[in-house]
Order: sequence, then C-alpha cells, then structure tokens
Amino acid sequence: MPSRRALLLGAAGAAMAGWPLLAAGPRTPDAPARDPSRIVSMDFGLTETLIEMGRPPLAVPNPASWTQWVVEPALPAGTVNLGTDREPNLELLAALRPDLIVTTPYLDGIEPLLRRFAPTRRFSIYAPPKGDAYARSIIATRALAAAIGAVSAGEDLVGRAQATMEAARARLTAAGLNERPLLVVNFLDDRHVRVYGAGSLFGDVMERTGLVNGWTRPVNYWGFATVGIEALAEIPAGRLIYMEPVSPDTLERLAASPLWNTLSFVRAGRIDRLPPVLMFGMLPSAMRFARQLQSRLAEAPSHG
Amino acid sequence: MADIALRSCAERRPRGAATLLLGLGAVALLASAINLAAHLPEGGIGAVWGMLVAPAMDDPAQALIAYSYAPRLVISLLAGAALGLAGALLQQVLRNPVASPTVLGIQSGANLALAATLVWTPELLAFGREWVALGGGLVAIGVVLLLTRSSGFAPLVVILAGMVVSLYCAALAALITLFNSHYLAGLFLWGAGSLSQQGWDGTIFLLPRLAIAVLAVALLLRPLTLLGLDDMQARGLGLAVGAVRLAVLLVAVALTGFVVASVGVIGFIGLAAPALVRLCGVRGTGARLALSGLLGAVLLWATDQGVQLAAASFGEMVPTGAVTALFGAPLLLWMIPRLRLPPHATPALSVRGDHGAVRARRRLAWLGALLLGMLVLSALFGPGLEGWSVSWPGPGGSGNAVALWPLRLPRALAALSGGVMLAVAGCILQRLTGNPMASPEVLGVSAGAACGLTIALFLLADFGRVEQALAASLGASLALLAILALARSAKGSPERVILAGLAVGALLDALVSVLMASGDPRAVLLFNWMTGSTYGVTTDMAGASLLAVVVLLALLPLIVRWLDILPLGGEAVRALGMPPGLSRIMLLLLAGVATAMATLLVGPLSFVGLMAPHLARLIGLRRPLAELYGAALIGALVMVAADFIGRSLAFPWQLPAGLVASMIGAPAFLWLLSRKQASA
Repeated sequence: MPSRRALLLGAAGAAMAGWPLLAAGPRTPDAPARDPSRIVSMDFGLTETLIEMGRPPLAVPNPASWTQWVVEPALPAGTVNLGTDREPNLELLAALRPDLIVTTPYLDGIEPLLRRFAPTRRFSIYAPPKGDAYARSIIATRALAAAIGAVSAGEDLVGRAQATMEAARARLTAAGLNERPLLVVNFLDDRHVRVYGAGSLFGDVMERTGLVNGWTRPVNYWGFATVGIEALAEIPAGRLIYMEPVSPDTLERLAASPLWNTLSFVRAGRIDRLPPVLMFGMLPSAMRFARQLQSRLAEAPSHG
Repeated sequence: MADIALRSCAERRPRGAATLLLGLGAVALLASAINLAAHLPEGGIGAVWGMLVAPAMDDPAQALIAYSYAPRLVISLLAGAALGLAGALLQQVLRNPVASPTVLGIQSGANLALAATLVWTPELLAFGREWVALGGGLVAIGVVLLLTRSSGFAPLVVILAGMVVSLYCAALAALITLFNSHYLAGLFLWGAGSLSQQGWDGTIFLLPRLAIAVLAVALLLRPLTLLGLDDMQARGLGLAVGAVRLAVLLVAVALTGFVVASVGVIGFIGLAAPALVRLCGVRGTGARLALSGLLGAVLLWATDQGVQLAAASFGEMVPTGAVTALFGAPLLLWMIPRLRLPPHATPALSVRGDHGAVRARRRLAWLGALLLGMLVLSALFGPGLEGWSVSWPGPGGSGNAVALWPLRLPRALAALSGGVMLAVAGCILQRLTGNPMASPEVLGVSAGAACGLTIALFLLADFGRVEQALAASLGASLALLAILALARSAKGSPERVILAGLAVGALLDALVSVLMASGDPRAVLLFNWMTGSTYGVTTDMAGASLLAVVVLLALLPLIVRWLDILPLGGEAVRALGMPPGLSRIMLLLLAGVATAMATLLVGPLSFVGLMAPHLARLIGLRRPLAELYGAALIGALVMVAADFIGRSLAFPWQLPAGLVASMIGAPAFLWLLSRKQASA
C-alpha cells in the first residue's frame, strides 16, 4: 500500500523538516534590566501598585474589567489588552518586547512561558498555606519597587498605606465603630455570599483600622469563605458591608426574604453598600477600602 | 413492557421498594435530627413547632430553624419528588430506562439560558430567573425531540441527541464563563444546585406547581399505562398516542423547569429514583410513578442532610446538586449491566461498500494537501497589534523582528496530533462496536482522563507536565477498565458501553461543579484546560505528540484486519482463528491510550472523535484502512482549523481549540443524527 507508506513518510518528513522552525525560540536574559520601562503586569494587584509607584505597565490582561473591579487608581488609557490572565496572548506579548513581566503564584502554570519573553518576577500575596494579605503586600511592594528600581517610591507607598490605616483608625474609633463586629461580603446571588475573614485584604484592613471582623470561621488562603446567607444569622454582627458589583435582581430578592429580614443588622438598618475594591489587591486597594470605610461609616449617616 | 423492564431481583424481592424507602428515610431522619440539634436553642424539640409558626424574630437560632432549616428540608423533599416524578414520566413516555432531565439536556439548557441572560441582558432577570431557566430547558428538550422525531424517539437516539445538546449547552456556557469568570461566580453555585433557603418562597413557588403536575399525571394515568405498550396496540385501543406523549412530556419538562428555577441543577435524582424503583421490580404504571416521586424525595432529603452534616464538620459549602450527581454517576454505572435494553434503533454502521483503492488514494492525497495548506496558513497569517500580517519562518525577518512560527506551530501541531488521535480512536470504537455513535467523547474515555487530571490538580501541591500526563492516563485507563469490564460482562453491547461512558461524563461534570462552586481559584485553571486550549503547549510536547501520532499511524495497518473481522461477530472471528476477547481488548486499549494523550492536548470537549470517521465515510472512504487514515487527516484538519480560528477570531482573546471544534462538531453531529434516521 503505497498510500500508507507515503503518509508515514510524509508525516515523518514534515516532523523533521519542521523541527528547526520550532526550536528557534526567543532567548532572554534572566535578570531584569536595571531600570525596566516596558513592564507587563499579569495581576491587577501588581498593576495598581505599579501605577501608584508611577510606573504603569504597558499591558495587562482584560483591562476593560478594571473599572468593574478596581476603579482606583485609574488605569492609563491605551494600556494594551493581553486577553485572559490564564492565557495572555503570547504573540502580542512578543510584539510588545517587554523588559519585565510581573506575575503571581496563581499563574505559576504559565510562568515558564512568560520567561521566554522577558525576565519574569513572581510576587506572592495570595498563596497557601494561609492568607496574610496586608503584610505580604508590604513585602511584595518593596520587592517590586526594588525590581523596577523605584525603591523610594515603594517606601513612599508603604508609608502612605500605613498613614491611611492610622488615619482611618482614628476616625473610626472616634466614631465608636470599633465596638461591634461587622461583616464584609460580596453577594454571589440572593442566597449566597463570599464573606471575607482574617487574612483577606478586607479583613486585614479592618484589623488595622480598629474594626472587629465578625467572620471568625475558617476561610481559604484568599481569605474568604463561600456560604449561604443563613450562615450569617449565626454571627453576632452589628453591621454588614457589601461590595459592588451586585447582580441587578439580588437586592430586590433579598428584601423579600424572611431570613434576611430577621438578620440583626438588617433589622437595625445597618447595611452599607461600597463601590468596588479589588478584593485580591495590594496596598492601593487596602487604602481605597480604608478610605471608603472611613467616609461611609464615620463621616456619613448610614443608608439601608 | 419488556422493552423497558430491568433484569432484576424483582421476583425475589417484591417488597424491595418499601424497604429501600424506609431505610433511606431512617437515615435521612437521623441526619435531620443531628442537624436540627446543632441549631436547636433551649426549649428542646418540643419548642420547634412554636418556632415554625411564630418565630421570635430577634432570636437568630429560631429564625434559622424557621426560615432556613425547615424550608430547606421541605424544598429537598419537594424538589426530589418533582425530579423523581419527572424522570419516571420521561422514562415511561419515551420508553427509555435512562431518560432523565439531566440526560435529556433540560438542565444544561436552562443553565445556558441563565448564563447568557446574566451576561448580556440582565434586565430580563427582572421577569424572574425562573422563566429564563424554563425557556432554556424547553428549547433544549425541544431540539432533542425534534431531532429524534423521525426515529420514533428510539431510546438510544434520544439519549445521544440529549447528551450532545447537553454538552453543547455546557460548552457554550463554558465559553461565556471563560470571559466573565468573576461575575458569574453565583452561577456556578446555581449550576451546581444549592438547596440553601432563606424563607418559604421556594416552597410557595414549588408546592402548588407540583400539586398541579401530580393532578395532571393522575388524569393522564390510564393513557400513560397504555403508552407502555407499543404504538400499534395503543392506537388499536383508541389512544391518541401523539397527543398523550406531548402532554406527558410537557408535564415532565415543567416539573424539571420548576425545580431548576427554584434551586438550580440537581443531577441524577430524576434518573436514580425511577430506575431504583424499576430495579425493585415494581409493576404497574401508577405505583411506579408514585414510588419514583417518593423515592426521589427521600433520596434528595437524605443527600441534603448528609451534605449539611458534612458542611457542619468541614466548614466548606458544597452544593447538594453536585453531590447527587457524584453519587448518581456510580449508581448509573452499577445499574447498566442490570438494564434490559431494547435492540438499538440506530441504523447499523455501513462498513461495506468498496469504492476502489485508486479513488481512495487520491482522496487521501487531497486531504493531506489540504491539511498541509491549513498548517502553513495558520503559521503564516495572524492578527497583531496593527491588524493582520504575514510572518515568515525564522527569527524575526520583517519589521516586527519577532519570530512567530515558534509560537504558532507547536499549538497547531498539538491540535493536529489531538485531532488525529481522537479520530483514530473514534474509528476504532465505531468499527468495533458497530455503533455509529461511539467515540472517545461519548464513551467517557476523555472524561475519565479529565477526571484524573482534576483530582490530581487538587491533591498535588506541585503540578507539572509529567504529573498531568500520568494523572490523565490513569484516569483514562480507569474509565477504559470500567468500560472493558462492562463490555465483557454485558457481551459488549454498544448501548451499555455508551451508557457507561455517559456515566463517566456525568461524574466529571459533578466533580467540576463541586470544585467550581467552592470558589477555589484553581477551579478556573481547571476550567481553562477543560475547554481544550492548546495554549501551554511547548515545542517538546508538540514534538512528542507528533511522534506518538506517527507511531499510531504506523500501527494502523496491523490492526486493520481485526477491525475488518470483529464486527462480523464472535463466531466468525473464532472461525478465522483469532481470539475475539484479546483482539477486542487490544483495540480498546489502543483507543484508550490515544484518547488519553489527545485529551491532554485538546481537552475532553471536542467532538472530533465522533465526527471525523463519519466525514471520512461521507466522502467515500469506506474500507477500514482508508477510513482510518481519512478520519485521521480530517480530524487533524478540523483541529488545526479550530486552533487557527480560536487564535484569530477574537484577538487578543483566544478561544480554546477544543471548544471551537465542538462548536463546529456538535451541530454537525446532530445534523448527521437526524439525517441518518431520515434515511433509515
């Protein structure tokens, strides 16, 4: 059967002929340039930190969702879209010729790929064994600042964050908000929430601003637990804060839910809606959250 | 009613159903008591009634019992009963022992409708999630029934169409989810069927609807009994067969839709309850329907209380619906050898019909040229920052100064290898079983590989390529072993083997649902891979898979004689001096290994293994060897094209090749299915 042999030969031939084409992958040095200017950031938390340090990245995954999840600091217009964070477009990455890529343990799976295009640094904020978002953010911020040759900008950011926490602490304590535990949640639908505990960015900010986190049960290393709303009934919390975005029909449905209406903070009307803050962010998000807590709780009367 | 009877312990255990009900009920009661005790404040059990009637609003413990614990218990009973009844109705009306809301695509259709609405037209949700879900479910089963009408709703055909519609909806929902993973977190929960309640509104929604459905069933009971006979007899007795069928179907879909709308996707209760009732040898349509409802209620009740017990001790919320599917899939596997199935109504595979070697050779050459062209095209052209451009091989070259071939070719070659391996596996399985609907995707071999990978992803802290390969191969081998055992014990009847595959696929679904609902970010990684992305393929991997393809293609001439002879039946094979068992096992093993490798490359979702052999035969490659090579080339072609489309269609976003292939493959398969019946 010549057809069979021809096919086999063809396949083998194609494989051998094609080999040199494949093997010629780009090679890059391992150490970043002294003062990298073409930075690609794979994580919104790192991105906000870079922006705060005055060195915004060239490209990030899915920049369109920035306004939905991070908002502040603003992402510079013209930031290139890399696609999804799990699968950034490599052809685009190659064309951008970055001199530094920053990533997180969440994307360890593609780190070897990224290394082919530029020196790649990995910063660990949310990773096992357990959450410690704020303290790890400080460490990562300093490391990132060192990597881009902006040590003083990094120290400045850490200092600003500490100052923001202390200012918020003073205001919140003065307003007497440090006495009753409160809960911070994202609504997943009208029956379930993500509640943020110790080790989450929100939990750590609450701790540093003198607030008492009502959620003391186990959380994952991102610092949250997914629970039914009935689980909130067992928590003696005096206030609930929920973060945007919220799906449109959720609040309407909650208003009609008997259990929701028996929750102590619902009956007392102590529910606050806060604009989006990146829950898996770094110091800039921590500062934004602290400022929002301060302005919402200590400076304005609560709306239901 | 021999066609839907189960070969069972019926004669020996006439009161089996009662025992089963009571046993399960006792377990559920015990678990409920433990769960209640955990919530119970002072006042003891006697105070519970008072709390239910007039809970003290300021006591969280009382509010919990009145608005969470109690309604959750009631809704588990109602939803279970509705699903059990819906399953029994579907099984009766379609004369199909494995029909169920899950298998017929109703649930995933509803899921897709909800996902799409949530992303694109959230305003529609103001009308209520219920109606969106119901609409989706109706469309899904409508498509299934429309496609299978000409076969007279032959059981296997209906299930295959249902399953493919179900997979297609899942793939579309996956695509939506991939690009909106944060926002749809709530949908994962809903899709996985959480029974958590915060008031009686779920009960108020479900109870009257269930009551009306039960009433309708009671009215339809006599014609329904007659429907169990064959159509001729039923017509002879003056029954408007079509009208009754439609009415019963509507009731069943409505029941499912209501449950889906109020608590989400609860897997497999609708299959397990009526099937267990049959296994217990209950005769009589009325008794079977009633008992299925009851058993469904008790099953879901027991499962949900168990889930709550587990959640209390582990602190992690697990959606009940996903757990029922985890239990349901093994149950289905266990049931399969005990099912007595009607002879399958799909027209047998036309394996004869020779068109001369010269024409076949020319066609193969054409296919090869096309494939080569597609490969070059996909490496040459692509969109970039400044629109489409041509890039030549070699480092840099044009103004861009970046070598793109090393980025594009490994992906294209991996897609090619995956396509070849799936196509060959599909050919072998179709020839071997004489069943045109067999394929690695349908037989659950892909799903087995994916299951292995999923489990490894969550058990191993460090997870490299080697572990991936090992885990996937192990999973595929286990799935294959299950199928092998089944094929031997049940004389390899194609229906059973396909049903076993279905069960493995459902197991994978359940596993992924649980992980997705847990909110663990690793789930998104898993999801990404599941959709069949060639993204992470390295040069080494592409080379290795290409080598495997060459070896596989070289092996084909050696196995072709078996493929020629085995479909003739055991006697003929023995007469020709071949041990039928051994050759069968060798072929299955080859198909299994090829599938495991392909699954690693292009995920478990593509339909290439099913499609390619059909397309090969369609263009006249009917002799085994020509068909094998033709299918291999077509499979490669489809996957390379899918990879190319996925990379360039939504640049810089990348659609996974496996998903793109299934977007093409599933409708093609459904079309093929309806066409085959029309010609039969």
